[in-house]
Amino acid sequence: MAFPLYAGVYLQHTATIILTYLCLALSWDMLVRTGQISFGVAGFFGIGAYSAALTALNLKLDPLLSIAVGGLAAMAAALVLGLTTLQLRGMYFAITTLALTEIFRVIVRNLPGLTGGPEGTVLPSAIFDGDPTKTYWLLLAIALVTIAISEAFQRTRVYFAITSIRHDEMVARSSGLDIFKYAVFVFAVTSAIQGIVGASFAQQYAFVSPEGTFDIDFTLLPIAMCLLGGMHSTLGPIIGALVLGSVAEYLKLQLPYGHLLVYGAVITLVILLMPQGVAGKMKEQFVREQ
Amino acid sequence: MSALPRSRRYQIAVPLALFIVVLAWWHPYAVIEGVQRAGLYAAIALPMALILGIVGIVNLAHGDFLMLGAYLAYWFAVHTQGDPLVAILPAALGLFLLGAVVYRATIKHVIGSSELSQLLLTFGLAIVLQQTATLLWTSQPVSINTEYTSTSATIGSLTFGTYGFVYVAAAVIEFAGLTFFLQRTRLGQAASASGQNPVGARIVGINVDRVYLIVFSISLALAGAVGVLFLTRHAVFPLVGGGLTFKSFCLAAMAGLGNLRGILWCSLILGLAESLVSTSKEYAGWADLIFFVAIVAVILVQSHRRQVT
Amino acid sequence: MRSIEHQDPTMTNQMAGEMAVLEIDSLVRRFGGLAALRQVSFAVNAHEVLGIIGPNGAGKTTLINVIGGIYPPTSGRILFQGRDITELPAHLRCRLGIARTFQIVRPVQGLNLLQNIMVGSLFGRGASLKEARSQSLGICQFMGLSRVDRAIAKLTVLEIKKMEIARALSTQPRILLLDEVMAGLNVDETREMIDLVRQVCAQGVTVCIIEHVMSVIRELTERVIVLDHGEKIAQGPYEEVSRDPRVIGAYLGEEE
Repeated sequence: MAFPLYAGVYLQHTATIILTYLCLALSWDMLVRTGQISFGVAGFFGIGAYSAALTALNLKLDPLLSIAVGGLAAMAAALVLGLTTLQLRGMYFAITTLALTEIFRVIVRNLPGLTGGPEGTVLPSAIFDGDPTKTYWLLLAIALVTIAISEAFQRTRVYFAITSIRHDEMVARSSGLDIFKYAVFVFAVTSAIQGIVGASFAQQYAFVSPEGTFDIDFTLLPIAMCLLGGMHSTLGPIIGALVLGSVAEYLKLQLPYGHLLVYGAVITLVILLMPQGVAGKMKEQFVREQ
Repeated sequence: MSALPRSRRYQIAVPLALFIVVLAWWHPYAVIEGVQRAGLYAAIALPMALILGIVGIVNLAHGDFLMLGAYLAYWFAVHTQGDPLVAILPAALGLFLLGAVVYRATIKHVIGSSELSQLLLTFGLAIVLQQTATLLWTSQPVSINTEYTSTSATIGSLTFGTYGFVYVAAAVIEFAGLTFFLQRTRLGQAASASGQNPVGARIVGINVDRVYLIVFSISLALAGAVGVLFLTRHAVFPLVGGGLTFKSFCLAAMAGLGNLRGILWCSLILGLAESLVSTSKEYAGWADLIFFVAIVAVILVQSHRRQVT
Repeated sequence: MRSIEHQDPTMTNQMAGEMAVLEIDSLVRRFGGLAALRQVSFAVNAHEVLGIIGPNGAGKTTLINVIGGIYPPTSGRILFQGRDITELPAHLRCRLGIARTFQIVRPVQGLNLLQNIMVGSLFGRGASLKEARSQSLGICQFMGLSRVDRAIAKLTVLEIKKMEIARALSTQPRILLLDEVMAGLNVDETREMIDLVRQVCAQGVTVCIIEHVMSVIRELTERVIVLDHGEKIAQGPYEEVSRDPRVIGAYLGEEE
């Protein structure tokens, strides 16, 4: 994990990006474990980014503190949205989140006095004065916390709750489980993670804009990573993020228009050919050989 | 495909009519623009609701297939110097065939799987279509100008564009055609039966898989044809479909999944609301939030209704 | 004779005091135009085993679903230990002490045998993981379930049926609603299941049992109610009810 310290700036930069996507992928997967899909990752990422940038700029908040504010803002948005829309789960929720990113973008564009409008807002300086090593450590810390939360979700009563909800809501309800409470809780936690990641991204580049910050990349890549690695575990999204994350930068250079095609194809093909993902496939093989 | 009971229908229709009359007196342009928008939205939403009602799948790539139809017409118009509307039939046919291929290769395999896989699959398809279009035609918007789209009419002191009513006509024709298909043709009746009870339909000898294939293809063909109409008045770009998919789902959800007639009414309500906001000077930019507010309201109402009834 | 006292459930409440655990008052449930339950009223007394019988499509499972809170009644009231629970969501009913099994078994596929049972304990009782584990292990022992870390796919029909009951028991219910738990079991297995239900009842749990196998009803229940087309057409001891011409009429064409 400490290898990028001895590597060049470029590798450090790549590692930071991979960690960014790793957090997003893992947080997306945590919600999927409750049976809900969110297509709004980029939306919460963007809320976090804007909240951090604006509080740092206008309230002169410490960059690290502003990142926490970004997480809280995304969590607040998720709570408001979850408390209303998670009453109907499944496709209703999924499609509502599909519009989220665009909705937040519209709001940001229409409040130029606060957000800088379509042109975005520039911060005077990047976090840690742009030191790539420190940025790497920051993202590594966030990633470790995310992994810890994901593992907590796999080992505590939350695991029993979300697995029951995903497989059979009727059994869950009849066993005394408050589905709505757990769905909102997981949605709020995962959105907070996405907000924090977005906030640190904004602090890292010292710039937010409706198009660049609410970029569909931040929704699409995490989904493709989880599917490739395998859903419903901590390991799957990590594997997916490492594999796809390391080719993502290369693809972006090679295919500036349409590198996202690869991720769309990955999603489609994995669903059709290998719904359990790479990690799931390996686990299956392992069980079979035993 | 049940509509609301008659009494409930009047409860909605009468206030709506009153509202339109008042609005037309106060802000006539908003009403004309709203009705035209409503036609467009209904024309786009109907084929999506058809798949939703019969195959039971939310096609998140719906708007992107429409985008494909529009690009086909654009390509045709540029190469032949002809009228893009001529491309309606070829676009519909092309998308019908594409629909059959896409169904066979992808959708067929997730029928009966979890909703999660279905949503992810069609989301993946949407991205593939969008990005293929970006590769082929770049992300720059394209548009075609023809003379007839700027025809206008004058009533009293009011001058307005009339071409937009082509969408209203399209929606009405589409609705009538689909209703006829589902109620009067053997295939359509088989489709209705498969939508209501696929197991039962299979037992009485309906080839449900073939019905799904045809319904999916018809839906795509309609989306393609509407896409051509869309091109005649709007700029088209690879990502244009996403918003249209969302709006279509909002309408289908608001009307009640599978209720085609309801889509006409709901698109009238939302079309008017949207045009009212977008023709106002200060708040025009917020018009994009109308459908989102509507879907949240629909979710709240429906979840409340489920708890009560 | 108790059956006659309970003709009017609202009266029962005052007269019998704590006797009735569950009271159903003029329950109606419609699906669209179809009435699945029409004005059904009855009471379940503490510590009894009440049978609910009737031909296919009589509304038995709908009744359990309405009592369990899966969907609300169109009209009517449900009282649990004297408290009106008609508006209460399913998970709160479970926490009050109403547990159920499902006619078509519903194991949670992602969880193993023990974990499935722990769900009831964790959320129905609010137990900690450790408590839930030890309590569920106890229930497994009681139910005769061994090798508790097996996946659902590795279980026999009997074991899955037992798991359903164990999951319900782990919520520590006052009343247990069993929806055709004997269906699909052979003679020996049915025997075993009957003994289990007896033991559950002996521990102070009131039982409502829907069953198609009439020998089970005869052996287990003190009292049955008979549903036909959503209506309660008879109630009383099984021997009495089975001679009722209306009941025989309802079952005509069925196997018994």
